[in-house]
Amino acid sequence: MTSRLRATTAVLLILWIGWFARSAEATDLKNTIRNLYGIQGIHVEPSPFFPVETSFQASSLQGLDGLNSQLTSAIGVPSFNSSVTGFTFDIERGIPVRTTESLGPMLTERATTMGISKLNVAGTYTRVSFTRLDGKNLNNLQLTFHRNDVNEGCDPSIPQSLARCDTIRARLKVDLSEDIFAFIATYGLTSVWDVGLVVPLTHIRLFAKASAGIFHVDTLGVTKPGTTQIGNLPIHQFGPNSTPPDASGGGEETGLGDIILRTKYNFLRNSGGLTPDLAFLFEVKLPTGDAKRLLGTGGTNLAGLLIASKTYGRWLTPHVNVGYEINTKELEQNTIRYALGFDARLLSGLSFDADVIGRQKPEGNGTGDHTVDLSLGVKWNPLNSLIFRANVQIPLDKNSGLRADFIPTIGVEYLF
Amino acid sequence: MSLLTTRTASLIFAACVIVGAIVHSSTPAEAAKIIALKSADVDVYNEALEGFKSVLQESAIVEYDMEGDLQKGKKFLARLKSGPRPDLILAVGIWALQVVLEEIQDIPVVFAMVLNPTAVIRQEVRNVTGASMNVPNEQQIALLKKVSPQVRRIGVIYDPSQTGFLVKQAERIAKDQGLRLVTKAITSPKDSFAAIDAMQDEIDALWILPDLTVLAPESVQYMLLFSFRHKIPVLGLSENQARMGTLLSLSFESGWDIGSQAAELANGILSGRSVEEIPFTTARKVRLTVNLKTAGKLGVHIPKELLDRAAVVIR
Repeated sequence: MTSRLRATTAVLLILWIGWFARSAEATDLKNTIRNLYGIQGIHVEPSPFFPVETSFQASSLQGLDGLNSQLTSAIGVPSFNSSVTGFTFDIERGIPVRTTESLGPMLTERATTMGISKLNVAGTYTRVSFTRLDGKNLNNLQLTFHRNDVNEGCDPSIPQSLARCDTIRARLKVDLSEDIFAFIATYGLTSVWDVGLVVPLTHIRLFAKASAGIFHVDTLGVTKPGTTQIGNLPIHQFGPNSTPPDASGGGEETGLGDIILRTKYNFLRNSGGLTPDLAFLFEVKLPTGDAKRLLGTGGTNLAGLLIASKTYGRWLTPHVNVGYEINTKELEQNTIRYALGFDARLLSGLSFDADVIGRQKPEGNGTGDHTVDLSLGVKWNPLNSLIFRANVQIPLDKNSGLRADFIPTIGVEYLF
Repeated sequence: MSLLTTRTASLIFAACVIVGAIVHSSTPAEAAKIIALKSADVDVYNEALEGFKSVLQESAIVEYDMEGDLQKGKKFLARLKSGPRPDLILAVGIWALQVVLEEIQDIPVVFAMVLNPTAVIRQEVRNVTGASMNVPNEQQIALLKKVSPQVRRIGVIYDPSQTGFLVKQAERIAKDQGLRLVTKAITSPKDSFAAIDAMQDEIDALWILPDLTVLAPESVQYMLLFSFRHKIPVLGLSENQARMGTLLSLSFESGWDIGSQAAELANGILSGRSVEEIPFTTARKVRLTVNLKTAGKLGVHIPKELLDRAAVVIR
């Protein structure tokens, strides 16, 4: 029966993947912010005396594109794993010992594997509502666009040059959130070797509103609203022939995200003394999610992690994960991954886990180059092979990268 | 699918497999029909099953994994009673043996990979024999004697309800070898500390028995502390204990070998011998671990003969 259930699960998974892959359509949610003022950027009202219409085009395109990249490159799928369940053998007592006495961490890894021919199937729901970008509130972002010739100088003591000091300030309100339903399956090929996959179904929502205004520097060097005027003639202004100062755009997309394939090999176990259990995990994130629709990153990621863990007193398991993730599309997104934490059995069938999870991009572009989160979770095992899980991820540094105030995850898993 | 439905479906499917296998195996050659009930999915049990099958290749063997769930095992055996009768049941591990003892009285049973079977099999049971994972007492006592000629008195802490039978047997063996067993009976793990202290000037070596009352981690730690303080060598039960600090440890060599021993017993039953005539066996191949770091601390010289025999030497 177990084999039949496993086969049924596999068939359902294939159908599920196929259905969402089929629903993919090419839209361009990814460039929502870049295209807020149209693909030409901001144009001001043409002037009969000065060629200023496209003065802010390059700067606005560059600024919006930068913000667009900062936001979209930071959207990703959170980590997932499976509980470690099953048995190990206590040779001294002559009995198998349940390894579910502590149910394992939720977002990080322990070195131990599930056991031969074991299939663990899990479904999780994660809500990510982003609120900050590099510490700035997403509801109140500000971009400043300069004239093309600003480098030629805008000395307040030279009135003719003052127009070069005019700027356009755009205030943006960005509403960005993700709902991720993930199907996770892990299978024990041998007693020390697991393989698995994570199939995420993502619903992403990105809406942006922008409101632009023109500012000038007066002869005292003070920045004020409005444009520089020569006589009564305003130099820069929005009007019927310019780009509208207020703009909005965005949308929602649902579909298959980036599928993750993973394998873990537990090469050292129960060696006694202070030596921990050790494992190596290799992970491939495939570009199955449509990057234009913000459902995936558009590139293949390869990650290797060394995992160490050791169980004390059959209830407390500290663990360490250290590894490197290669982004084959954007090398500056390559990441050192690390995690340090523990999982502990609180009551019979109830485990708690806590982790500090870090990601450092050595060649990063400045946005989210080093993020550190605190992960707190509980797992409840009401029946033999059924586990309910809940977790919250809290940024410890909200001033780095694209961040949510907290990321809740709930899920259920079953071991066949 | 609800858990209840899953379990019911699992049982129906398992029953179909059993019936199918038994009907299918009713060939003119009349291969023996064996049900192998496994306590849980652990490597050493899987090895034992493979060892069993390697000897009884001609038999039709249907395997069932209890997955550590005694109720699941009982339901499986209840279904078995209503179907065709197997010639023999193999119980792998203590949990499988426990449910078989409760549910089966009229079918020959062979167990494998059970520690201290005498503690769970009542004397009136007549249909059960098997291959335990106990290391023969003779070998353990002889090993301590070989460590040093000064070893004359061997200390043992035990719970009479758990390992009383082992101690009685060991006392006889020790006497035959010119040694004396100094025993301290306890009934609770917390009694072990006083029992260890009480042996301070009475023993030349300490022997850890496979006794659940004695094996509390704190008790084992205290035995090791006692060993280093008083320079008393300790014989442990596993490589893990040797790594913790016992001078020596002796354990069964492999699950595969215990499984093949069980298969030889099963062969005898299938050939017509009465189960009652076949005694339980102990591990015929053992694995010795020597901790030379501990030897150094205790000032004990390990004879070359023992080092040559050791599967693992911790340096």
